[in-house]
Amino acid sequence: MSSPTWLEGVFPALVTPFERADESLDESAFRHLIQFCLPACDGLVTGGTTGEFHTLSRQERKRLVEIAVGEAEGKPVIAGSGASGTTEAIDIAIDAQDAGASALLVVTPYFLHPSDKGVYQHYSQIAARVDLPIILYNIPQVVDRVLPRPVVEDLADIDNVVAIKDSSGDLTYTMEILEFVGDRIQVLIGHDEVVLPALAGGAAGMILASAQIYPEVWQAVKQFVNEGNLTAARNAQRQVQKLSRIFCRHGGGVAVKAALNAMGVRVGRPRAPLKAVGGALSHENRAEIRLELEKIGKIEPKPSDFAYPSGDLADRFSDLNVDAEMIESHLMKVGSGQSGKDINQVQIDIIAGAKSGPLGDAYAVQMTYPIHGREALAAILEPALTIRPATLIMPSLPQRDLRQANMIYGPVQLAISRAIANALADGEITRDDVDNQVMIASVTVHPKALDRHDIYLSALDAATQALQMVTSAVVGDLRTQEVA
Amino acid sequence: MGYKTSWFKGIFPALVTPFDANNRLDETAYRRLIQHLLPDVNGLVPSGTTGEFSYLSAKERIRTIEIAVEEAGDRVPVAAGTGATSTKEAIELTEAAKSVGASAALVVAPYYLKPNFNEVYDHFRALDKIGLPLILYNLPQCAGTHFRWWTAEGMLLDLENVIGIKDTSGDMAFFAALMEKVRDKVSIFVGHDEVALAAFSMGADGAILASANLIPDVWQRIISAVQSNDLESAREDQQLIQKLVRIVTRTAGPQAVKQGLTAMGLPMGDARYPIMPGGGFKREDFEELRLQLETTGVDKIHKREITYSINGVDYPTLTFALPDTPREIAGWDLRVGEGFAGPPFEELAHVDLLIGKVKGPVGRAIDTSMAGWGSERGLRLMRQRPQVLLVPTVTLRTAKAKRLFYDHAARGVEHAIDQSIQDGFLPETILDEIAIIANVFVHPSASIAMRVFGNNAKATRHAIRKAIENRPSVSEIVTEKDSARHPFRYSP
Repeated sequence: MSSPTWLEGVFPALVTPFERADESLDESAFRHLIQFCLPACDGLVTGGTTGEFHTLSRQERKRLVEIAVGEAEGKPVIAGSGASGTTEAIDIAIDAQDAGASALLVVTPYFLHPSDKGVYQHYSQIAARVDLPIILYNIPQVVDRVLPRPVVEDLADIDNVVAIKDSSGDLTYTMEILEFVGDRIQVLIGHDEVVLPALAGGAAGMILASAQIYPEVWQAVKQFVNEGNLTAARNAQRQVQKLSRIFCRHGGGVAVKAALNAMGVRVGRPRAPLKAVGGALSHENRAEIRLELEKIGKIEPKPSDFAYPSGDLADRFSDLNVDAEMIESHLMKVGSGQSGKDINQVQIDIIAGAKSGPLGDAYAVQMTYPIHGREALAAILEPALTIRPATLIMPSLPQRDLRQANMIYGPVQLAISRAIANALADGEITRDDVDNQVMIASVTVHPKALDRHDIYLSALDAATQALQMVTSAVVGDLRTQEVA
Repeated sequence: MGYKTSWFKGIFPALVTPFDANNRLDETAYRRLIQHLLPDVNGLVPSGTTGEFSYLSAKERIRTIEIAVEEAGDRVPVAAGTGATSTKEAIELTEAAKSVGASAALVVAPYYLKPNFNEVYDHFRALDKIGLPLILYNLPQCAGTHFRWWTAEGMLLDLENVIGIKDTSGDMAFFAALMEKVRDKVSIFVGHDEVALAAFSMGADGAILASANLIPDVWQRIISAVQSNDLESAREDQQLIQKLVRIVTRTAGPQAVKQGLTAMGLPMGDARYPIMPGGGFKREDFEELRLQLETTGVDKIHKREITYSINGVDYPTLTFALPDTPREIAGWDLRVGEGFAGPPFEELAHVDLLIGKVKGPVGRAIDTSMAGWGSERGLRLMRQRPQVLLVPTVTLRTAKAKRLFYDHAARGVEHAIDQSIQDGFLPETILDEIAIIANVFVHPSASIAMRVFGNNAKATRHAIRKAIENRPSVSEIVTEKDSARHPFRYSP
């Protein structure tokens, strides 16, 4: 059997939607998902790793193939038919053939670690029992072993073994496979982060988790590579690099489901023990996915009305029950700094005062006052390395989600702490201050801020400016200190 | 063929190499350490892995060996670390060790490039010709080469001057194979502190251990209990120190041992870069190591008198102070301490703690918040002596988050305060004078209740001590300001 040319395309490794109530197959959601992604795809893949095949029953796996064949409008359906044992894999392969699949995707046998001979037998016995083209599948991240290249060489001689899907992301393996079997079977890239280099190296097509979210990007990468336009291909790959990384490394199918749900394509939750969020996919990364989907235009950004604090600096600390008169009478010092452009602009307003005065009280009170979205945190260089003098960081505006919050509780927190440490090293803040003073920094970051490095640099600059004002402040001259 | 000596047995500390403020070998501290250890050890290992041999010049390595030989006199033998990545350098060091009077050379497998075993074999064969007794050293964690039993057996039995092997792999299946093949023909030493009891019970002749710098007496108890068939006592002692040695082996060993010795009153300075304070041996590891050194039965840090001065009244207390803990703790408006404990990530604990006078900012904030937003925002006044207010860092939104916070994190805070009262950091006499605000973070993904409890107990205990002792110091902050790794600074 020669390799079908239709494999040279973009295939989504579909997630399997489940009903929330009882984890049963949600057929209508699955049909809807197919309708959503089919137009830009060259076919479909059911019951793969992204489709949580390991939790599906034999009947469910067959049902997915039937539905996909029905919805595919004539495009080919590749059925994931791998299993740990050979007998079960054969049963599932025959089911898939009966259900109308065009090819089988068979993962390297997992859990127990069979010998190379056993792996060969696994594939060759399946191949002997069906008339369908078979795609070998290397995914050491979950199988815990690499499909050995010498075994691939021998399997490639079997008539209906037509391709290998390489999801390892290990380009040295991909190149080795291309070198040894590239003239006999097709190599399909299965790792979203390295699509471009794999295609450039000679891979024929792709089966990807993210191809149900942005298949058009992968079609573009493929076309640009075919045309020899590497610059355009790089730009296309790069715009989805972070999302692809999150899908590949931080949750797989769970992360893909979170992305689809965020886009309004309801696919439900993964089956237990996987958690929809908070397990392999962290809350932080789910927030990151939303943001990246906004960047590539897959979801509408939430509207935001937003302004940086302005007016008299001395009036900006009213949340702390500190006003201009108290600042003067208790010899507190204030400073403000602003840096960065557009969404990278950061403003930092700092107030410093004695522990024994009203600012000490404000500090202690803030530690008892968790305002949702504006939680105050002590400034640290890293966990267990608190900055001194003790400094609290408060967002001036509510943080809507963890990703927004992470711009402050990561890059800005470090930047303020480092600016203070620099002032300590330079002697601008004295040992006496360390023992007797506290500071509170009110921070404003644009709600659409994206880039942690840019935010860090803006915050470091803004904090340094603000501290310079604080350390050189002339007491009693506060009302003239306005931010331009 | 190799042979077994009468003297290569028992407990050998893998000596740290102290450096002074100018990063030079601190000979005085080094001699002092050796004299401190001699009563409890059967031999010395200078210039080993824990001695940072890979950061020492050849001259320095020979000097550490020479001093060890001088200090040991005829009391104990010296097994000198002379391993190197090239055969030529290993030969030069081994010859030098022989000429300054070392009893044996402990030679790690060549590292960095990972030679084949036939190349490793010829490396040792070349060293064998020097005539100094040789000890093979299996340390796959650093050398990248893990001996096979047949390679070890070949070298141990083919070569003329090999007297033993030190196995630091912690791989007990390998260790068992060694026992099967070469026991009684050469000495077999264990180098992995966490499995030393298991190795002794299988018949190990001795141990070369990083933690034997800190607790050689406990190791003597363990090995002699095993050798007199008292496994029960040996187990009790091993369990007493299991956490201590886990901290030492799993973090940057030399830095851990040095900070431990410094806390015991034997100042050793820091390791050489790129090992650094707050690096692999994290600050929270130091807090835990310190607690382990205070434990009854280990008894390496002792209580001493400190005076707490509050509102003009002096309250003396006996506590496990460090050499640099101020003798008088004054200034009770607002003392700030931070504690951090993990892993795992989901159950990590982060505690921002304030301690202050009841009639100061802390006490007033407790009164204000409880009269105002306290119940609405989930604050809990946990106890009265001392007054402790528990505050969730982030709003608790689910029943699970509330359960983990109020049942398990709160219990951890409570436990830490009880322990701090017992260990003297919160002396009974001041409990009516002070108030505490504990701002406690429980991650929304947390599941394991036991870890939420345990990590919050640790983090709170650390935070209390840091608040009392004004740590981190300004010099820690300044030293680490540029290299600090904030976990949320970077994109996923």
